[in-house]
Amino acid sequence: MRRSRAAQAALLTFLLAGGSAAAPLVAQAAKAANPLQASARALEPHRVALAKDHAMVLRSQFGLGEPDAFVTRLSFTNTQGQAIVRLDQTHQGFRVFGGQALIHVLPDGTLRTLTQGVQPGVKVEGEPRLSKQGAVAIALRHLAPQGPMTDAPKVERVVFPAKFAGGLAFTQDPVTGKQVLDRKRLVHIQPEQPFVWAYEVRTRVHNRVDAPSELTYLIDGRSGEILRVDNALHTARASAPAQAKAPFAAPATGNGLGFYRGAVTLATTEMNDGTFSLWDNTRGTVGNPQLSGFGDDGSGWAPTGLQVWYASHDASGQMDWNMWLFQGNAANSWGDGQVWNRVPGTENSANGQTAAVDALAAMTTTWDFYANVFGRNGMDGNDTAVFAQVHMNGGYMEWYTDNASWSSWAQGMSLGQGSYPGNPKGLLELTDLDIIAHEMAHGVTDATARFVNAAGLEEAGMAEGTSDILAQGVRAYATRGAGDPGNAIPATGADWKIGENAGHGTPIRWMDKPSRDGRSADAWYDGLRYLDGHFSCGPLNRMFYLLSEGASATQGATNHSPYYPAGFTGIGLDAASRIWFKAVTENIVSDGTGSLTFETAREAALLAATDLYGAGHANVLAVEKAFSAINVGLANGQAPRAQVAFKDWREGDYVEISHFSGWSNKEFFPQGETVRPRVKVENTANTQVAWTIGGPSMYNGAESMVGKGGRINADGSWTTPMEKGWWAITATSQADATQFAEGRAFTINLDADQDLEQDAVDMGTLAFSWYLSNGLSLAHSVFNAPWVDDGDVGAFVDAVKNSWLPK
Amino acid sequence: MMNRTPTLALAGLLLSFGLACGGGSSAPAPQAAAPAASLSYTDPAGSSWRLLKDASSTPTRLVLNLVGPAGTLTRGVGFNLKAPEGLKFDAFPGGMLIQDAGVYQLLSNALDPNEPVALVGGVKTGNLLSAGIYQKGRDQGAKDSGAALCRIALALDSAHRPLAGTTFTLSVIKARIIPEDIGSPTDEPFTLDRKLRMTDISVAVGTVTAR
Repeated sequence: MRRSRAAQAALLTFLLAGGSAAAPLVAQAAKAANPLQASARALEPHRVALAKDHAMVLRSQFGLGEPDAFVTRLSFTNTQGQAIVRLDQTHQGFRVFGGQALIHVLPDGTLRTLTQGVQPGVKVEGEPRLSKQGAVAIALRHLAPQGPMTDAPKVERVVFPAKFAGGLAFTQDPVTGKQVLDRKRLVHIQPEQPFVWAYEVRTRVHNRVDAPSELTYLIDGRSGEILRVDNALHTARASAPAQAKAPFAAPATGNGLGFYRGAVTLATTEMNDGTFSLWDNTRGTVGNPQLSGFGDDGSGWAPTGLQVWYASHDASGQMDWNMWLFQGNAANSWGDGQVWNRVPGTENSANGQTAAVDALAAMTTTWDFYANVFGRNGMDGNDTAVFAQVHMNGGYMEWYTDNASWSSWAQGMSLGQGSYPGNPKGLLELTDLDIIAHEMAHGVTDATARFVNAAGLEEAGMAEGTSDILAQGVRAYATRGAGDPGNAIPATGADWKIGENAGHGTPIRWMDKPSRDGRSADAWYDGLRYLDGHFSCGPLNRMFYLLSEGASATQGATNHSPYYPAGFTGIGLDAASRIWFKAVTENIVSDGTGSLTFETAREAALLAATDLYGAGHANVLAVEKAFSAINVGLANGQAPRAQVAFKDWREGDYVEISHFSGWSNKEFFPQGETVRPRVKVENTANTQVAWTIGGPSMYNGAESMVGKGGRINADGSWTTPMEKGWWAITATSQADATQFAEGRAFTINLDADQDLEQDAVDMGTLAFSWYLSNGLSLAHSVFNAPWVDDGDVGAFVDAVKNSWLPK
Repeated sequence: MMNRTPTLALAGLLLSFGLACGGGSSAPAPQAAAPAASLSYTDPAGSSWRLLKDASSTPTRLVLNLVGPAGTLTRGVGFNLKAPEGLKFDAFPGGMLIQDAGVYQLLSNALDPNEPVALVGGVKTGNLLSAGIYQKGRDQGAKDSGAALCRIALALDSAHRPLAGTTFTLSVIKARIIPEDIGSPTDEPFTLDRKLRMTDISVAVGTVTAR
């Protein structure tokens, strides 16, 4: 049987891998939930209704009225028998963007509300003039993909809070490699009313010529103007699951020889023609939303279970964008244990199957980990089928080759074939256990915390860190011995590395001391969010490592922290995992705008630990210490530390007022001028800082989209570079060298009248080109863009205000 | 004699204090200039572009209006004003160094509370105030410049201890306006390009004296 279709998207990119476990592993079917959980599940519908009623009762406290209500986004029952209910806020029956409530219903019926995301005072007038089709057309016109759209956009009418409008975005210039304004995603509109009707249009681009993306557009229902554009923002409701089809085919047990896992027993399926497929139909009874698009072809196939597909390739070795299920195997024996030779046409040969063996074994292990340890039914908690695609390569800038990704849209993974050894810096096939466990964990957080995984947000680090953390649990789970019931995570088995095997010995990330890679952070600092989420996850990973394994009091030890120098005893991998899993699935509320911080993570973890072990328990105190060890919060009895922050960096600026989230905590300065950046230093009498150009987000001075330019003068001032662009500067406390903050500045050219002097007179020239569409001088824009608008005006004013201060 | 100068000065100071307290008198001695405590301003003559004293000025804070020639239509004006040591530029409520006088229509969309206006001011090295106020684009008509268009403020800079009687010379280094005719989007690019120019002006400044 051949099934051809476009590949899945790939938003939660990752770049991890790891795992090893040479020991054979037999995938075990998920066990039944514990008795408390099982009995509580029966009450879940009642408790969801209770939670909704409770939210409705609280409407006045939330600042809501009669037209406002709540609808269930999702619910599940945890192993403590608590119902966790996430509700979407609605107004006149339409979802309010960014509005949600999280309510816990405890076994005794007590209700606990953890809601900060409710949008009060909703009032929206009239009706949208724009149709859904019109909104989609606007989005697609803006998206302007070069290649085919393989998925129809999804559109939903919503109420949009004006405070979430706007956003300056930036992108990498493919020629220069520098970061430049992304005019495509730049939005600087401000709705006239606090709430407006809008359409949320979700798009998905996944083809050979465009950069993969899942852009979500918010389009004003009256004016048709674009209010907001987000990438990798998972705000849509879960796709309505297809009805599970009763497979004609029969469950079977096959043998596999993986490259990473060695010999394994696989749950496979015997098709109607008597051959076998790499399809474990014993897990995941609800149809996969992507696979459900395919019809029954008489082979016995159904869109359920765990399935492994492969990409086929043309004669040059490039992926041809056809996808095939691994099947047609008469012996039900899979793989040869060797790295695929990447010869086109051999994808489903014994050699080509090796990656699929690793993938399916990893998927079943991961699935069972959640079922048996946490009582979770699949990634989304709803038993929805999951698929993986292996042997992927190519795409825009070879995006797929050395990468793996999870698509919440498709509930599936794209797993690159790797480029090593042809590319010495490349990876082997990205099908090792920790890579797949990492990706599938994104499926868990997509359905629960719903982190916004976008650069510039601390949430991105929380998303990636959570996937690393849970992947370590899966690794350890995979090492459990025969007879182990599998309802706890073994104390050993984690290696605190991600992607070591795919990286042919060099991990992609270290969790015990993330800075070993030269790019990740070991602890939080103001500016951490400038790092990509795969590097800003470092502090969370280290927190978890220390929580599990403990911290040393010996300076110089890998597990010594200067932020908690006394050291402490770890609580073990099982307890640490349960705390973090509970925190991330039950206690964290992302409003979809990227407002969560590591401090939020700490509070959620403390609440989870207290729930599990009781107030004052050693495990709760250990959570405090572990977060303290990454410079987040203080442990009991600790004196406040010096803190350096660019807290007032944006205060009063147009960018801040306009909620240009992408520019938050970044300042405009004129190019080639001497300026005095400001920071706030707290908790110390010595508020002096030492300034340096550059910062951690520059990857320690190596490749970067951010420049290291200009010079620091003897008086501490900064003479900015004579060119436009992003620059990093760092302020380090003179009282405590472990405390620093990184700021990012964007230098702009104010000399619009080109008289070689930057001054307020230049602003007059902006007026000539303001919203003019022809006859323009690029010099009129501070960004050298072919038009001038309020973005230029606001940036100009801010740059002057930041630079030339009155006495 | 050289050594006596400080002594004499000190004697003078003591005398001054003594007199202030209503004490007796003694032989006159050389007087040291008193620290300045207030500012006065003499408006410049003429009817072209000039800085005139605003009625809201106080003895310690001099507020100046930028006024243009009556009948001249403009869309905005910017200037660089240099002040000598002893004076400092003072901010208005909100921290801005320039204040809108209400002639120019700065908002293009009165419904947007966050719309940035082209009103800008900063003090560059050399005690140079660089300030400007502009209408954006072509939607609003040009305005008669024969009225107060914007305000700036000056105060004594105590860090330099100016003395009473000091005369300060302000000078406008550069000043330009946006003229009435800035072309139309429908103009030919060449025509439009010729009109996308600011026009130099001269700004007359009065005399500031410390009291």
